[in-house]
Amino acid sequence: MDPLIPFHTALRWQDIVDILLNSYILFRLYVLFRGTNVIRMIMAIAMLWMIERLAVNMGLIVTSWAMQGIIAAAALIVIIVFRNEIAGVLQTRDFKSFFWGFPQRQVQTPVDIIVESVYELARRKLGALIVLPLQKSIETVVQSGIPWQGKLSREMLLSIFWHGTPVHDGATIVQGDQIVEVATILPLSKSTDLPAYFGTRHRAAAGLTEQTDAVVLVVSEERGQVTVFKDESIIHINDNIELSKVLRDYTGEVTTTGGLKRHTVELGIAAMICLASITGIWFSFARGLETLVTLEVPVEFMNRDPMMEIFAASASSVRLQLSGSGTLIKSVRPDQVKVKLNLANAVAGSNQVPIARDSIALPPGIQLKKVDPQALEVTLDLPVEKTLPVQVIWTGKLAAGLIMEDVRMVPDNVKVVGGSLMLKGIQTIYTEKLPLEGIVTGGTASVSLVLQPSSLKLEEGVRNRVDVIYKVKMRPAASS
Amino acid sequence: MCETIQEYAPAHPAVVFSIELGRVSCFTEFDPVPEKTYIHHKWYQNDSLVTEKRLTINPPRWSSFTSVQLRESDKGPWRVEVTDENDKLMRTLRFSITD
Repeated sequence: MDPLIPFHTALRWQDIVDILLNSYILFRLYVLFRGTNVIRMIMAIAMLWMIERLAVNMGLIVTSWAMQGIIAAAALIVIIVFRNEIAGVLQTRDFKSFFWGFPQRQVQTPVDIIVESVYELARRKLGALIVLPLQKSIETVVQSGIPWQGKLSREMLLSIFWHGTPVHDGATIVQGDQIVEVATILPLSKSTDLPAYFGTRHRAAAGLTEQTDAVVLVVSEERGQVTVFKDESIIHINDNIELSKVLRDYTGEVTTTGGLKRHTVELGIAAMICLASITGIWFSFARGLETLVTLEVPVEFMNRDPMMEIFAASASSVRLQLSGSGTLIKSVRPDQVKVKLNLANAVAGSNQVPIARDSIALPPGIQLKKVDPQALEVTLDLPVEKTLPVQVIWTGKLAAGLIMEDVRMVPDNVKVVGGSLMLKGIQTIYTEKLPLEGIVTGGTASVSLVLQPSSLKLEEGVRNRVDVIYKVKMRPAASS
Repeated sequence: MCETIQEYAPAHPAVVFSIELGRVSCFTEFDPVPEKTYIHHKWYQNDSLVTEKRLTINPPRWSSFTSVQLRESDKGPWRVEVTDENDKLMRTLRFSITD
């Protein structure tokens, strides 16, 4: 028999929706965080999780414990260390972009204007430091900038870096086609392997790219040399064509058909990986080895006639035999399994109520194998009050030669509350047993009432004890 | 309720009877009786009807009784309901059968 046939037929439409929905959530997280260090750390944590699952399956106890600890610590570290990056990603997105669309890596930057300006600065040997932030926020890294908010142009950049202007000595931050800040102080690199001829501008550029994903352009004041800093890379630019290419590569500007295709392929591969990952996770959870478990579940009665009360039920709980993957079965909580019996059609008296499948609520992925019992006998009745006489139950043997001539109960009647049908057959309320041994004269004894069945109740406020006042006399001598 | 009937009168009336007596009787006396009628003695053990006997009552006064033989299983609380011919309850007599 082909084992794939039952496998596929067992897959419900809810399972497919489950996989697709979670794959999409994972894919959206990738789209939001791609290119940041957070996504790399999350991938590392995912790898650790896979190792941990493998270790559990192979029975490597200490390894699986260690991996669990590392994963928990890593998740915490990611949130703490990359909190600014996470906040930056979340704050810079509009609400729609969380669910739909593919945001570009950055706002389109007019690369040609920058290239032209930089080469004009180099030709005139005007020192310049230009920062192009990408996805990571640089706000927490840079200091003391002066807000500018000017449209980017060749003339504007030349003016900013012109000798003698108050703002020429810091870094200029360009976002999209706007110069957003000037005279900004960047963190200096503490790296010892930078070339000796690098000045403060170069060290500042290296310092920023060590901490962020920004692209930084430096124009050397002494040599007119143009250098591009990005991550660990330092690229010396020889001509404006090379600068243009480098900028377009780093800023991810999609202008060509090839670039667009590469972008689409990258997202397509990411989507497939997300789908494969979630499918794998889903199957590892939901399609593990079949496990059986028996649960004792309390029964809830619903929709009974509000005029009637439940006076008896053949059972207050039922045993359910459930099956599902080991992981799912282990995760079942008692409050997720409910048995609710509908008493809408129940009448006064005894009712056989079958425990149908639709009266049992189970968590997703759990199947019901067996119910025991398959029906309950539920007795419903109208609660009524009835006044009944009380009678004592004597036990033992009265001493020879004595006769108990009279017994009086105080009170001699009690009011009880119970089902009307049940009370029809009850004419007397009896006391607990009262022994006759030791009785030699009249007296009084206090005894409890015995209420049978247990659903029978005394009227509220009535004491569950009565006094038995008895009289005895000597048996007359037999006449000859 | 009495242990026995002697000379048309109840002997040793009581409310607790030993099973060793082997018999217990319910004696009823009516005075006056205007016309011939019937009564019932209904014997109950633990609210369950054990036996019912119909008795004739004649004017001008009349006494009659019913008895039950006692067995080991008869221990416990009993009552006899005396009803008229229309099943109207006239009197309930309660007693116990013990060791």
